[in-house]
Amino acid sequence: MAYPYTHEREVRILSRGWGDPASRSLAGWRALGGYEGLERALQLGPEGVIGAVSDAGLRGRGGAGFPTGLKWSFMPKEKTGPHYLCCNADESEPGTFKDREILRWSPHQLIEGCLIAAYAIRADHIYVYCRGEFFETNLILARAVEEAYGAGLAGTDILGSGTTIEITVHQGAGAYICGEETALMTSLEGDRGLPRTKPPFPAASGVFGRPTTINNVETLAAVPHILRNGAGWYRQWGTEKSPGTKLFCVSGHVNRPGNFELPMGFPMEELIEDVCGGIPEGRRLKAVIPGGASVPVMDAGDCEGCTLCYEGVQEKGSMLGCASVIVMDETTNIVKQVRRMVDFFAHESCGQCTPCREGTTWMARTLRRIEEGRGRVEDLDTLVELSEQMTGTTICVLSDSAAAPVISSIEKFREDYLALIPAAVVAGVS
Amino acid sequence: MSDASLEARPGDAPFRNPGWAGNTGEFELTEADVRGDEYVGTLLPDGGHPGAAPALPYILADKNPDAPLFEGPYRERIEKILSRYPTAQAALIPVLNMAHELRGHISDETMATVADTLGLAHAYVRGVTSFYTMYNRRPVGRFLIQVCTNISCNLCGGEEVLAAFLAETGTELGETSPDDLFTITEVECLAACGFPAAVQINSRYFENVTVGDVPRILEHLRGRAG
Repeated sequence: MAYPYTHEREVRILSRGWGDPASRSLAGWRALGGYEGLERALQLGPEGVIGAVSDAGLRGRGGAGFPTGLKWSFMPKEKTGPHYLCCNADESEPGTFKDREILRWSPHQLIEGCLIAAYAIRADHIYVYCRGEFFETNLILARAVEEAYGAGLAGTDILGSGTTIEITVHQGAGAYICGEETALMTSLEGDRGLPRTKPPFPAASGVFGRPTTINNVETLAAVPHILRNGAGWYRQWGTEKSPGTKLFCVSGHVNRPGNFELPMGFPMEELIEDVCGGIPEGRRLKAVIPGGASVPVMDAGDCEGCTLCYEGVQEKGSMLGCASVIVMDETTNIVKQVRRMVDFFAHESCGQCTPCREGTTWMARTLRRIEEGRGRVEDLDTLVELSEQMTGTTICVLSDSAAAPVISSIEKFREDYLALIPAAVVAGVS
Repeated sequence: MSDASLEARPGDAPFRNPGWAGNTGEFELTEADVRGDEYVGTLLPDGGHPGAAPALPYILADKNPDAPLFEGPYRERIEKILSRYPTAQAALIPVLNMAHELRGHISDETMATVADTLGLAHAYVRGVTSFYTMYNRRPVGRFLIQVCTNISCNLCGGEEVLAAFLAETGTELGETSPDDLFTITEVECLAACGFPAAVQINSRYFENVTVGDVPRILEHLRGRAG
C-alpha cells in the first residue's frame, strides 16, 4: 500500500504500517510483531532495557539528538514517590509533520514505546501531551489507549509482570512553546506554558515536582523495534554517531513532498533529486532548511556533499534538528520567508525573557521594513547584533531559534537583502 | 462526537483532496480510511476510558454559546479527568477544552464557572486561557477556517489560499461573515507541511488545498449548514 508516496530506497521500520488502516488496531499492530518488544523488555528488566537502547545508540528525535539511553539512566533508581514519562506529541516545529503520521497510522507503536520507556525509568504514569489541533489524530490515539487497557497492556499488572503503568492522552490548547520540555511540564500542570530554568533537570524534579523524562514521539516509536530485534540490528543503518533510520519530512519546492524513512547519513542531494523527484519545472535549488524553522539556513553550496545525520549537517554549519527539510528554489524571496519565520517566533514567544520577547518583535519589524523596500543598509548590522544578543541569553532556546535563520540568511544571502534596500541598490553595494 | 457536518456523504464528488494527506492518485484509500473514522468509532460525551477522557474535540459546528456546562455525562468526564492527575489544577486545560467544545468560545462567565468547578482563582484561569491560541475569546462562525501561512505552506501558496477564502466569503481576517457561517483566520504551522496548503476547518484538517479548491470547499460547507 503506497502511503502516499514510497520510494525504493526507504527503509520502512517506523512507517511500515502507514497507509494501511488495519495497522491502527491492536490486532493489526500485533500482526506486525507489535508488543513483542514490550514482552522482551519485561524479561530484561529496567537496566537491561536502558542497556539495549544505549547499545543501539538511539538519539532523541525531537531535535536535540541527545542519547536516549543516557537520558533514561539519569532517572533515580530508588523510588521515593511517583515517576513520570511525558511523550512530547506537541509537534509544531514549522516543516515537521512526522509525529502526526505515527499517531494516526500506528498509535500502538507509540504506546508500546511509551510502555517500554516507562518501565525502564520506573514511571507510574505516562502522559502523552498531544497537540490540541490534532483532534482527529488524538481520537485515534485515545481509541488505541482504550484497546491497550482492554488487553491488559496498560494499567495494573501489565502482562502479568506485576508492573503498573497508567497512560493518559492529554490535549494541549495551541502553543508552540509547549513543545519545549520544561514548558510542556508547566502546561501539563495546568499553567501557562512557561519554560523553567535548568537545573533542576526533569530527571531530578520534573512534572508535579517528581522525576520525569520527556521523549519525542519518533524516539519512543523506535524503541519497540530495538527491543524486538536488538541493538546490532538497529545499527545496520545509519552512521556510528547517528545509528538507525529517521523520518525525513520534506516540504517546499519539491515534486514529491512527504515523509520518507531513510537511513541516517543519507545524502541530501539524493533526497531532493531522487527520493523527492527534484525541484518542480527544473528550477535551481536556492536554499534548504534541514531541520525545521529553528536551524540555520543552508545555501546550495552547503548542500553539496551534505549527509543527513547529526554530525553531517553540523559539519555544514547547520543542525539536523527533527530532519524537517524545507526546500526553496531560485524563485524564493528569502527575506520574506525569514520574516515569516520570525513573525512565527514573535507570536510564539512566551514573553518571560526580555531578549526573546523584545528581540523577536523588533527583528520581525525590521525584516518587514526591508521586505517592503523601506530598509537601510545598517539594518543588517542591527539584525546581526540583535541575533547575537538573543543567543544564549534566555531560559529556553526559542530565542536562539529565532536568531538562527536571520543570522545565517544575512550571511549567506546578503545580496538578497541588499537588493531590497533602495540605498544599497543605488550605491551598487553588494 | 466527530463533526458530522464536515463529513463527505456518499455520492459527493471528491475534491482534488477532500481533506486528507496524500490523495495523489497513487493513494487508493477513502477519506474514512485516512481519518480513521471506523477505528475511532463514537466518543461518548462522558469521555469513554479515563485514559482517553482528556482528549476531546476542539470545536464543533453545532456548538451553542449558552450550552449548560458540565452536566450529566460531562460531569462524569470531569471526574474521570480529575482522576488522572495528582492536582485539580492539571485538569484545567482539559476542562477548558471541554467548555470550548460545548460553547465554541471561552467567555468570562465560562472562565468563572471553570475556576469555581476546579477550585482555582478566576484571575489564574483567565491567565491560562489567554495564553493559549486555540481558545476563542468571542463567538466564531459555524465554521472556523484556519489557513496556515507558515514557511512550508507559504512557499506553496498559503497566503493566496487565505486571500481566496477571505475574498470568496467577503469577510475580513478574524471577522465572522454576515450569515454567521464563516470565521477565517491565519494560523501557525499545523504540522501538515508536506501537504500544503494546510487548512483546519473546525476540528478537521483539509490538506493540499489550492486557490481553485476554495469555492468548492465553501460550497460543501454551505450545503452542510443548510
